[in-house]
Amino acid sequence: MLTRFLWLALLACTSLNAAPSIAPATLDRLAQDPNWIALGHYEYKRLRGWHSYVDDRRFFLAGNGRYSPADELAATLKALYEPATLGNKHAQCIFPARTRWLRASLNLSDLPQPECTDFHRWYGDIAPHSAVLVFPAAYLNSPSSMFGHTLLRIDQADTQADKTALLSYAINFGAYVEGSDNSMLYAWKGLAGGYPGLFSLVPYQQKLAEYRSLENRDLWEYQLNLTPEETGRLVEHVWELQQIRFDYFFFDENCSYRLLELLQVARPGLRLTEQFPLAAIPTDTVKAVKAAGLVQHTEYRPSRERELLARAAPLSAGEQALAQRMAQSSVASSDPAFTALHRERQALVLDAAYRLLRYEASGQPRDAERSQRSFSLLQAINRNPPPALQVERPGLPEEGHPSRTWELGLGSRDDRAFAEYGLRMAYHDLQDNAYGFPLGAQIELGGLKVRQYEGGDWQLQQFNLATIRSLSPRNDLLKPWSWQVSGGLERVLGKHDDAVLVTHLNGGAGGTWQLGPDVLGFALGTLRVEHNNDFAAFAVPAAGFDTGLLWRNSLGNLRLEAKGDYFTNGEARRQLSLAQQWELSPTLGVRLAAQRDFSHLGGPVNEVLLELKWYHY
Amino acid sequence: MKRILLGSLFTVASLQAFAQAPGGPDCGWGNMLFEGQRGTPAHFLASTTNGTSGNATFGMTSGTNGCNTSGALTYGGKSWIAMNGMMNELSEDMAQGQGEALTTYAVVLGVKPEDRAYFSSVTHQHFNDIFKSADVTAEDVHANTLNVLKNDPRLAKYATQA
Repeated sequence: MLTRFLWLALLACTSLNAAPSIAPATLDRLAQDPNWIALGHYEYKRLRGWHSYVDDRRFFLAGNGRYSPADELAATLKALYEPATLGNKHAQCIFPARTRWLRASLNLSDLPQPECTDFHRWYGDIAPHSAVLVFPAAYLNSPSSMFGHTLLRIDQADTQADKTALLSYAINFGAYVEGSDNSMLYAWKGLAGGYPGLFSLVPYQQKLAEYRSLENRDLWEYQLNLTPEETGRLVEHVWELQQIRFDYFFFDENCSYRLLELLQVARPGLRLTEQFPLAAIPTDTVKAVKAAGLVQHTEYRPSRERELLARAAPLSAGEQALAQRMAQSSVASSDPAFTALHRERQALVLDAAYRLLRYEASGQPRDAERSQRSFSLLQAINRNPPPALQVERPGLPEEGHPSRTWELGLGSRDDRAFAEYGLRMAYHDLQDNAYGFPLGAQIELGGLKVRQYEGGDWQLQQFNLATIRSLSPRNDLLKPWSWQVSGGLERVLGKHDDAVLVTHLNGGAGGTWQLGPDVLGFALGTLRVEHNNDFAAFAVPAAGFDTGLLWRNSLGNLRLEAKGDYFTNGEARRQLSLAQQWELSPTLGVRLAAQRDFSHLGGPVNEVLLELKWYHY
Repeated sequence: MKRILLGSLFTVASLQAFAQAPGGPDCGWGNMLFEGQRGTPAHFLASTTNGTSGNATFGMTSGTNGCNTSGALTYGGKSWIAMNGMMNELSEDMAQGQGEALTTYAVVLGVKPEDRAYFSSVTHQHFNDIFKSADVTAEDVHANTLNVLKNDPRLAKYATQA
């Protein structure tokens, strides 16, 4: 009893005696320090005051810590002096980054010394030395991936010299999706912030497999010039964030925004997040990181799909067909088509066949027969290995045009002249300045166009909620479908030669073919539902076609397109259009477009439009 | 109802069922070559929401293919476990005699920089001894590799280091 009392007294005294008395002015100053703001993920808004992005009680030691950096600072300071016997539960073990910063800022030399075994084992296993910003780029079959994603790779001291990035860990921030929400709900909640965001730490090779093999996205790796000390600080802070929930919003408070915050923790004084008050599109954040002078050099990892295509590119049609046969079924090495080839060609065919087989197997459960076939091909490759594969590095994604576009156009519709003003929140259409983007991919969100006709009447020309087109070419080896969806408000030919504003939803599917080195031809069947005041029914469906050419030439991209919609109520609408982009500079483009519209409701109408496009975040 | 998984969903190795396989029962150590990649290709909406991860894995036990890292499975200071997700890449690299996974394998086995090119060529020549069939497991591959190293005078020292 007495011992216990003494213990209690001792503990009480320890905490009483050790609690440092620090001038309130000092505490106030520290609570406003950018380091502390960054560690708490605080943000100041004029009407709302202080507020942390972290939406999790466990992250705060003070009752109103989410709303008061000062209270949280005081509570943290107090907690640091709790008895060391708390071990892994001690605030110093839970908040190593806060501890380090407070100890340094206040010269806290008398802190208790808890043994943070959990943290030290974790930190020791990662052994942070340097960091790499990783950007999985767009995947043509999924233009939505054009927005990309960013994550951080943490390397050990010898990772660069040994080339063992496969052993590194990756820090990833993503929405935490629980269970069984269906896709629509998922999309909505993802956009609207219905899911919490969490950090996770996973082996980098697992992320590589996910992006390069499953999703077929190229990866860009930006080696950052963070010092070992800065990298360590970042990783310490990530420990503080394990299982901690953030608000997650697709556009602004997303993976890329959170990573910028981490970089600011690593190197205080960086001002990255403030550049993205509205939206943080990953390529834009990569640009900002580069502009801040953080990038040392850039590495490129092609996707499995790109590797397969690069390997197959030098093969003749006959050789490609052979590779395909070998991937589909066991072809004897005595097969005349194979033995007729030179040994070097055989090596290429074998490698292409193996890559094709594995490409087709990706995402599938293991299959004994296919595994055997893969293995036989590997054995053949082992006997006759091909030269190392060289994949040409595409344009740097962060040097592609910025995500937002301002548009100014002058044109005439039949005899009426007009001016058109547009703003598109994101991102890229088939003809926008092409550097850094794949040909045939389009994703547009939130586009608004307003027209002023000669004589002064203004009208809403178009409100594009979203348009996505994926025109990825079919070839002998790969046969992807092309598809498109779009929805919003637009003007179409109406009665009395008037353009009437309609609400529409469109979808289409078909194929795209590589007609020349820089020419794609596409043909899609389409479906459309339209709400049109000229129609008797509330909504009228239509079936139609959409076909055209896309040519990448020295000026920019040219598009020739014909499309038609045949409505169930008898209306038939067709459009023929031709447009050429002229790329003036990375952030400026001019587009000349001509189109002719036909309708059953009125005579054909011609329109010509000259448009200036300014890509500016 | 399918679960939307982008990050792999790993179960944390449970403590009661140890000693079944090195690293625990959920460990990929017993995975065969060409085991399907975990997870599903990102569907359209998933990639729209910026690489959503199904389960927020964190820390060493949950982030290592379900392997229990406390076992004696480390070589040259690196966790062997990191290798078992790379079996396919390793088989490809070894068949060709070069590549990142093969280099990484050499490092994990403690092969010194000056011996790595030689290690690549020896394992390339012995591909059929190391990857004996389409059904080899990571454990087999490792054991077979050590056998090959043992029989090579220059690399034998790396076979015993483990």
